[in-house]
Amino acid sequence: MPNSALKASIAVLAALAAALVIAACGGGGGGEAKSGGTLKVLDTAGGVDSLDPGYWYYQSDYQELFTTTQRALYGWKPDGDTPTPDLATTLPKVSNGGKTVTIHIKSGIKYSAPLQNRTVKTADIKYAMERCFLPQVANGYAPVYYADLVGLKNYQDKKASDIKGLQTPNDTTLVINTTKPAGVLTFANGGALGMPCTVPVPKDYAQKYDQGKQSTYGQHQVFTGPYMIQNDGKGNITGYKPSQKLTLVRNPSWDKSTDFKPAYFDRIEETCCSDSTVAAKQTLSGQNLLSGDYAAPPTPVLKSALSSQKDQLSIKSSGGNRYISLNTQVKPLDNVNVRRAIAAVIDRTVLRQTRGGPTLGTIATHFLPPGIAGFDDAGGTNGPGDDFASSPTANVALAKSYMKKAGYANGMYSGPALLTIADNASPAKETAEAFQEQVKAIGLKLQYREVPHATMLSKFCQVPKQKVAICPNLGWGADFFSAQSFIDPLFNGANIVPSGNVNTAMVNDPKLNAQIDQAKQITDNTKSAAAWANLDKQVTSQAYFIPWLWDNNVGLESTNLKGVPSKFNSGAWDFAFSSLK
Amino acid sequence: MIRYIIRRLLWVIVLLFAVSFITFIIFYLLPSADPATLRAGRQPNPQLVEQIRHNLGLDKPWYQQYFDYMKRLVFHFDFGYSYQNNISVKQQIFDRLPASISVAVGAAVIFLITGIGVGIISAIRRRSLLDRTTMGISLVAISAPVYWLGLVALYLFAADIGKFPVPFLLGAGSYVPFSQDPTTWFQSLLLPWFVLAASFSALYARLLRANLIETMGEDYIRTARAKGLSERRVVFHHGVRSAITPIVTAAGLDLGILLGGTILVETVFNIPGIGRLSYDSIQNSDLPMIQGTVLIGAFFIVIANLVVDVLYAFLDPRVRYT
Repeated sequence: MPNSALKASIAVLAALAAALVIAACGGGGGGEAKSGGTLKVLDTAGGVDSLDPGYWYYQSDYQELFTTTQRALYGWKPDGDTPTPDLATTLPKVSNGGKTVTIHIKSGIKYSAPLQNRTVKTADIKYAMERCFLPQVANGYAPVYYADLVGLKNYQDKKASDIKGLQTPNDTTLVINTTKPAGVLTFANGGALGMPCTVPVPKDYAQKYDQGKQSTYGQHQVFTGPYMIQNDGKGNITGYKPSQKLTLVRNPSWDKSTDFKPAYFDRIEETCCSDSTVAAKQTLSGQNLLSGDYAAPPTPVLKSALSSQKDQLSIKSSGGNRYISLNTQVKPLDNVNVRRAIAAVIDRTVLRQTRGGPTLGTIATHFLPPGIAGFDDAGGTNGPGDDFASSPTANVALAKSYMKKAGYANGMYSGPALLTIADNASPAKETAEAFQEQVKAIGLKLQYREVPHATMLSKFCQVPKQKVAICPNLGWGADFFSAQSFIDPLFNGANIVPSGNVNTAMVNDPKLNAQIDQAKQITDNTKSAAAWANLDKQVTSQAYFIPWLWDNNVGLESTNLKGVPSKFNSGAWDFAFSSLK
Repeated sequence: MIRYIIRRLLWVIVLLFAVSFITFIIFYLLPSADPATLRAGRQPNPQLVEQIRHNLGLDKPWYQQYFDYMKRLVFHFDFGYSYQNNISVKQQIFDRLPASISVAVGAAVIFLITGIGVGIISAIRRRSLLDRTTMGISLVAISAPVYWLGLVALYLFAADIGKFPVPFLLGAGSYVPFSQDPTTWFQSLLLPWFVLAASFSALYARLLRANLIETMGEDYIRTARAKGLSERRVVFHHGVRSAITPIVTAAGLDLGILLGGTILVETVFNIPGIGRLSYDSIQNSDLPMIQGTVLIGAFFIVIANLVVDVLYAFLDPRVRYT
């Protein structure tokens, strides 16, 4: 078969496959996907955090830049919970008892200008992973998921110029060696190789931008995905103004036949930062619009849309949860029965109502949310059966019985007020105020303060020395479909740090820590899910956190759009799969 | 007069130093978020947080940080780089300044024209139906919060989401710079201008009405009429000129409030201006950006006050500066 005919056949097959994927994925509305046109996205919360692939970690970064402009070793189809090879040719080959992972990448994948004549090599992925450890890149997950790379410490201590555990025997092979089996690299425990740290970055081009206090590579980056940020072709971004606009155009170097993403639109224009009510109304009544960086529209708009524009809504599980954190190092919360009493006295339906009601999520009965491996093993929607966590409404009698077990004779707390730091913005503020009212049933007095969200986290709840007793406005989302990204950071005592501490309950149980470390090393999917489910039962039983909602993401679309939500990215729209009808 | 202006300009510099110092102190004394932790992502290790803190210079004592900042600002006119996105603060501020100036100046023109016009008509047609109607409406306009009024205006009249859409009243997010498309610029700002101007128009109308009623009762007005001057000349050359002096004072002082109002208007109408930038930077504890926006805001307020003081000399011949 001539080469061109072969390519044409591959292209046809790829298009057919893409069409089947879209048909399988469904979406926010009916109608056939149509190529071309401009997608407009309305952001309300600031848009992307950074242009640098090494920094991307949050939903809007993934939605607006990662899935559209770059390709990593592995990617995620909108409805899939297993990774799809993207730059890689197949899933990783695991050997050496789980300590060696070998990946082959496709040849001929090209960068955008000014490196349009250059192909992606595994050395570029190696450098991309290495630069994720540079402070000027400030990546938030590399030290968590790539911690066991051979030679990492030497590299971080500047005793080595590269990470020895990342080897590139040729331009299309990457060999990763770790000091112990790492489930996250084998996909048993998730998909750390599908994160933006594996987006290729050519070292000789990027290194000059990676000098200084903060890397500026993001503003000069080269792209491998179907789109690129509008630029001058000489390595300077022109289509981005922080908190104003982000314009994506077609990447001429992208070869559709090598990618699983259909990328229907010709252009994507993201505008920031509209008032959320106005943005929601504009999306519902306008054309070519998808909702951007907000998880749900304001309650009045949502109620109205549910009654008259339901086909313009996409309500999907976000794979995240909301919980109230109880600091186990602050009395009386060091007593498990007090924590269970608080869990029992909470009316979760009221808390959910403060966010907009049942559309916004399912009442949580344990920590792991639906969609995460181990959820079913941990009891599914009904939960493991802990009496203090089973009832969606308050059970004051049960709460008082737990208080009696904790030594409070009449079931009512008597002691100093507990420092409680809440978010001062709606709807979190209303949730915290409802919580404050509910715990009065067991006599709990709170020293209650409301502060901005960022202050709540970085100055209070995540700073152990502040000794905040209760943080009622916390939530966590999955990095991928493994429970490791939930259980390990939040309950492993080894992760307690002086600032940015997400183990806000200050859980440090050596037995639990050891079990978590063992679970992280499992490279078999089924065994891994069972191990994490067992840990979920344990942490739920100890009531370190009171999970009260498994979140939904509510996306909005205009009538002429066929939005496709991404399961991997918390139910947010996947722009690379969405299209005009 | 020149000496007076030079002396006032020197005071402007002192004042801006004081403003920058107070902003710095507030940032460090009041609970605000930790920029290093925010920058380090959601699962940061302590080494990373400390390295970022060092890179941003946050590990130095606050007075050292302040000194470094002012040195860069004074000698290089460098406002530093945003903690949030590592882009030059000066670049972002000057990029957004035209939008804020467009909003504020347009609103000022509208509230001065409508406020003075309505004030004069109400004063000379005292107790008429027109007077009572305009004063009633002004009371509503004063009471309406800008944010609420903006949303109501959009829901009623905006071309995209309005119940009674007016094609030339463009909705939120439609702002484009004047240099790009003057027509769209004008149409996108009409609603924000009227919303921001509403309460000021009402206030000025009531203020001028009261002043003019009082002035029209003065002896020199009676004398002007006795000399046979036309009523129009009496009102505009003698009455309004005297009654408007307090309005000019108020306009200078109100510029600060107007700039405060632009934060809300820029938010509702999604106009990429300084007001919205300052709000976002406070939310993100982005100190260089907070400093930059506060200093620019303070600069415009003190300059506006200076202009008002100079204008006095032209409006009131009794005023002389030395």
